[in-house]
Amino acid sequence: MKPLVTHPSPGRRARIILAAAVLLAFPVSARAAELLCQPNYDFCIEVDGAFPGGARFFNTQERRKYFIDIPSTRAGLLMDLEAKKMFAVPRSQIRPDGDSGLKVQDGLPPGTTAYAFSIDGPIIQFEAEDKKVRVMPVLMRPPVVGEIAMDALIADRPEYQAGMKRYSPDPTGMTALSKYSKPIELEVYFATWCSHCKIYMPKLLRVLKDAHNPNIKVTLVGLPKKFTDEKGPWRKPDIQTIPTVIVKSGDREITRLGTHEGAVPEIEFAGILQALK
Amino acid sequence: MTHGVTEDGRAASGRSRVWIGHVARCLLGAVFLAAGLLKALDPLEFARQIAEYGIVGPGLAALAAPLFITLECALGVALVAGFRPRITLASGALLLLGFIGIETYAISIGKTQSCGCFGAYVQRTPGQVIMEDLLFVGLALVALWGLRGWGGTRGRLPAAVLLAGTALSLAFVLASPYLPIDPLVTKLAVGRSLEDLGLAGKVPGLGEGRHLVALLDVTDPGAAELGARLNEAVEKGGGPGIVALTPATAEDTAAYLWSAAPAFDIHPVDRPVLKRLYRRLPRFFVVENGRVTAVLDGPPLAGHSLISSEAS
Repeated sequence: MKPLVTHPSPGRRARIILAAAVLLAFPVSARAAELLCQPNYDFCIEVDGAFPGGARFFNTQERRKYFIDIPSTRAGLLMDLEAKKMFAVPRSQIRPDGDSGLKVQDGLPPGTTAYAFSIDGPIIQFEAEDKKVRVMPVLMRPPVVGEIAMDALIADRPEYQAGMKRYSPDPTGMTALSKYSKPIELEVYFATWCSHCKIYMPKLLRVLKDAHNPNIKVTLVGLPKKFTDEKGPWRKPDIQTIPTVIVKSGDREITRLGTHEGAVPEIEFAGILQALK
Repeated sequence: MTHGVTEDGRAASGRSRVWIGHVARCLLGAVFLAAGLLKALDPLEFARQIAEYGIVGPGLAALAAPLFITLECALGVALVAGFRPRITLASGALLLLGFIGIETYAISIGKTQSCGCFGAYVQRTPGQVIMEDLLFVGLALVALWGLRGWGGTRGRLPAAVLLAGTALSLAFVLASPYLPIDPLVTKLAVGRSLEDLGLAGKVPGLGEGRHLVALLDVTDPGAAELGARLNEAVEKGGGPGIVALTPATAEDTAAYLWSAAPAFDIHPVDRPVLKRLYRRLPRFFVVENGRVTAVLDGPPLAGHSLISSEAS
């Protein structure tokens, strides 16, 4: 019959003592793994029907966990798609990481507040701290319609801000744009619901902002989804693609900028200005 | 003498007219044949394009696509073979006028004025297609003018050629989706770089290391099950990183992300860019340091070792 209690062999006993000594000397950290969160500008956060500027959606290195930071809430929110729960993460467990990232301590204590969320197609919705929150693709956000000032557009769209930050304009093109001395006008027709505009517009906005040339007058016009059916300033010019950038001199259309994916607006625009000299 | 010269001149002019007619007939026949055969390589895509116009539903479009393709091939064969030229030329012109009508409808519903997602990539707008079709209608009229009085190639051969051509094209259209012609039809092949595939710079990190790339239709009912199998592969570990690319919209991709909870990255890529890599989805390939090292067609992941670390 096998004894219920066995005594370790001398060798095994030595290994156990060694392991205990190591544990005493270097206690195992109680800290759980950290989630490295990087902002994902493909999604936006709606809180009680508004889109607060500081609210951001983050990817983590664990593909099925996402983090939501709403400045007006007491805690951050960790969305676990496997657990189908949204966990409240105390602010003490969240710290900045680099330029725009966050580090979130993943090991949540028992009894952590958790919220249920529901999925409605591309939208996730839940209630946290008495706030109605929806996470949705940024292209689904109510669009900017009509004329809008450049600064207002940039302030309103975090995805454009992020794209502007990432873009490095060509210095030669920028020098030409900033030194141009005759009045010229750009009419920009774009849509905040259009994925191509999400790529192109931040580049153009960065170029125009950096050029800081009062001779270049810019008019930005946001298009609604059914712009062919709705009346507005977009009806007069023949718009075949979005975005459309019309270059005008003395109220006369000279040409249009190419807005395809690889377009480099500062170089093309500088070339047009060079030809106009 | 003057009388003789005039008669000779008339005869020469008549011969030229007939030759012009034959050239126009053969050119139009070649255009129809080329159009039909190119569509026959991917009839499912043609059905999708028909359905996109919104005139008929996807079910009817799936039925209409092979019929249209066969009709185009048959017209092409008939024109080249010289079978009943007046009837075939008139039918060809009518078909082209029908296409012009459809394109005009496309313009009227604002198809050219949708977002750059459409306009920036598709090189031939409905307006350009209309111009092309008008040119072909002109070709048909030239052929009718040149060949007036010509009854067509004599004998039973043209009819036999037309019958065989029609039967062959119908058989090819129906079998095409199941034929192993993807390496010929699509750009995806071993040795191709991400630049060749049009994917360079579109997916962060794809150019470095080893990845299994899954081309997925996230709106397909089987996409969730496929996602679960890919999730298992990720959890099992040891294989290359998995990246999924989908021609779906941001909204559809988000819906899949929340419902299927993929443990791998998924990126929407413009349909015109991705469409060059597949005829049917899903399709898989392994990319190693920016170059395709293996392509997987057929049932996804079944019996394949693409996700194992040894595969190359």
